[in-house]
Amino acid sequence: MNMQQTPNSDYPEWFKNRKSGNDLIVSPLIPWAMVGLPVLVLIAIVIYPTIWMGYHAFQNTNMMSLFYNNYEYVGWSNFYNVITSERMHESIYRLIQYLIFGACLEVLLGTILALILYEMIKNEFLKIMLLILMVMPMMLPPSIVGVLWKFLLQAYNGAINHLLINIGILDSMERIEWLGAQYALQSITIADVWQWTALPLLIVYSGRVSLPPAIYEAAKVDGAPAWMVLKRITLPMLKEIIAIAFIIRFMDAYKFVDKIYVMTSGGPGQSTELPVFIAFQKGIREVEVGEAAAYAWLIFVFAAVLTTLFLKYLKNVLKAQAFA
Amino acid sequence: MSKSNTNLIKFLLLVFLFVWVAFTLFPLYFQLITSFKPVAEINAMVPTFWPETFRPSNYTGIFADPGSLKSLIDSIIVSISNTILSLFLGTLAGYALARYLKGVVGENLSFWILSNRMFPPVAVIIPMFFLFDATPWGTDSYISLILLYLVFNLPLATWLMMVFFRDAPRELEEASYLDGYTPLRTFFRVTLPLVFPGMISVAMLCWIFAWNEYLFANLLTGTTVKTFPVHIPSFTQGSQTLWNLVMAFSMVAMIPPVGMFIILRKYMVRGLSLGVVKG
Repeated sequence: MNMQQTPNSDYPEWFKNRKSGNDLIVSPLIPWAMVGLPVLVLIAIVIYPTIWMGYHAFQNTNMMSLFYNNYEYVGWSNFYNVITSERMHESIYRLIQYLIFGACLEVLLGTILALILYEMIKNEFLKIMLLILMVMPMMLPPSIVGVLWKFLLQAYNGAINHLLINIGILDSMERIEWLGAQYALQSITIADVWQWTALPLLIVYSGRVSLPPAIYEAAKVDGAPAWMVLKRITLPMLKEIIAIAFIIRFMDAYKFVDKIYVMTSGGPGQSTELPVFIAFQKGIREVEVGEAAAYAWLIFVFAAVLTTLFLKYLKNVLKAQAFA
Repeated sequence: MSKSNTNLIKFLLLVFLFVWVAFTLFPLYFQLITSFKPVAEINAMVPTFWPETFRPSNYTGIFADPGSLKSLIDSIIVSISNTILSLFLGTLAGYALARYLKGVVGENLSFWILSNRMFPPVAVIIPMFFLFDATPWGTDSYISLILLYLVFNLPLATWLMMVFFRDAPRELEEASYLDGYTPLRTFFRVTLPLVFPGMISVAMLCWIFAWNEYLFANLLTGTTVKTFPVHIPSFTQGSQTLWNLVMAFSMVAMIPPVGMFIILRKYMVRGLSLGVVKG
């Protein structure tokens, strides 16, 4: 897609000399007004809350003090409490686990599946059908996916345990406590991989579709073996796309919380709490707003750094591909 | 590598693909059959992989239950209102960004708008919870949800519409000015029809995100307004969960996004890949 803009000199004379009147720009303020409305909305629902959180991160705000409006400045103690709390450390350790076995695995599986699907299924109809089937989980409400997997993973008469018994992996009296303290995080990760492998799959698949066929024909004429084509042509050309898929999954992953609410509510005990989940619990359920705000700000800074890096990368990729 | 070796690898890769398809389908299949089972069969010691007694009445029960029906209607109201609002604001801003604000400011503005999509919801919900609490309509209302869903849908709509407007050939607009069309008429008669397929995919994406949303709805609403994901726990009575009703209800709730995806797949893949690859 070549997005070269027509150079200004090609415009007709009347267009270059346009003033106001029967012309789209009645006033140069109109485009700003058009952007201004959405920007105002975003300021109200994104910037205002950020500032609010920034303020309360330094106050000892909780249910009572919020009600009587008598919270006071406590310096960095909220941040100190958050950073030193055992609960936070454990949740970060879990987050890393989840990022490796969730996000990374999803991108890996998605890439492999997309390439197998594109290269090896020759029947066009079958190809599309399989793609739809594999992408479908992505469209489902995450809450329903959570409920469904909670149901499938029941220990006593759950479908997964009985499937494993039927295959012969489990003894007929054996049960895996999927949602018990030992495996709960893994179970949530499985549900997440089931749903979100679809996204990298779709991204890599559409990336592969848009690669120019001429190169592949040349490789075929030269008699290059399939793995060589994969290593020397497909993967290098898809490098950026795969990276973008990974970053998108990664950015969703650190704020991942919906399936935790549905499947375990952070339990048993606190064994499936991720950092964002703790922030929600603190803020809404325990109404420790001050500490929750400190959590939120730490997460916000982390997110801002990530987003900036990502957008910078994206800008470069878009420029290189003449997209933008 | 010998020929038979290559064939073996090919075979294994295909097996892997079909195992994955089976893994994708099994939960959905099990959901479908569970939604037709009676409770007793679900609570049996060994789950059946084919329902022994078919009970379509699970589905009629859902539509006869006022609570379930209301939650579906609430979801429809919230998701459609939010989609219309996102699309309207997104089209305005997208058009201005694509056509007029092309300098450094415009570019940074568009990336800033996009960056809001990656904003962690945790930094939004808690303040908004207390802010909406102080308003006359309260936290637990349509307005609060419709507004909050803009956090993720408005950046998406703006960015995608900007891309679609950029793709639309500018020459057609200029020709229509030359033919004496007014700016407004040009916009509605020439430009909008050009980006109409794009608008459909944007609307669908926004709608699906709003329909599927759980976090905001769970934390902010639940009594007056109850979207369908928030309604699901009410199928639990005491210690017993009526899984057949949960599954039937989930089936009903997930048919619209899935159906939409299958029917309008082309638009959707375009929107998704643009939204993803281009942002």
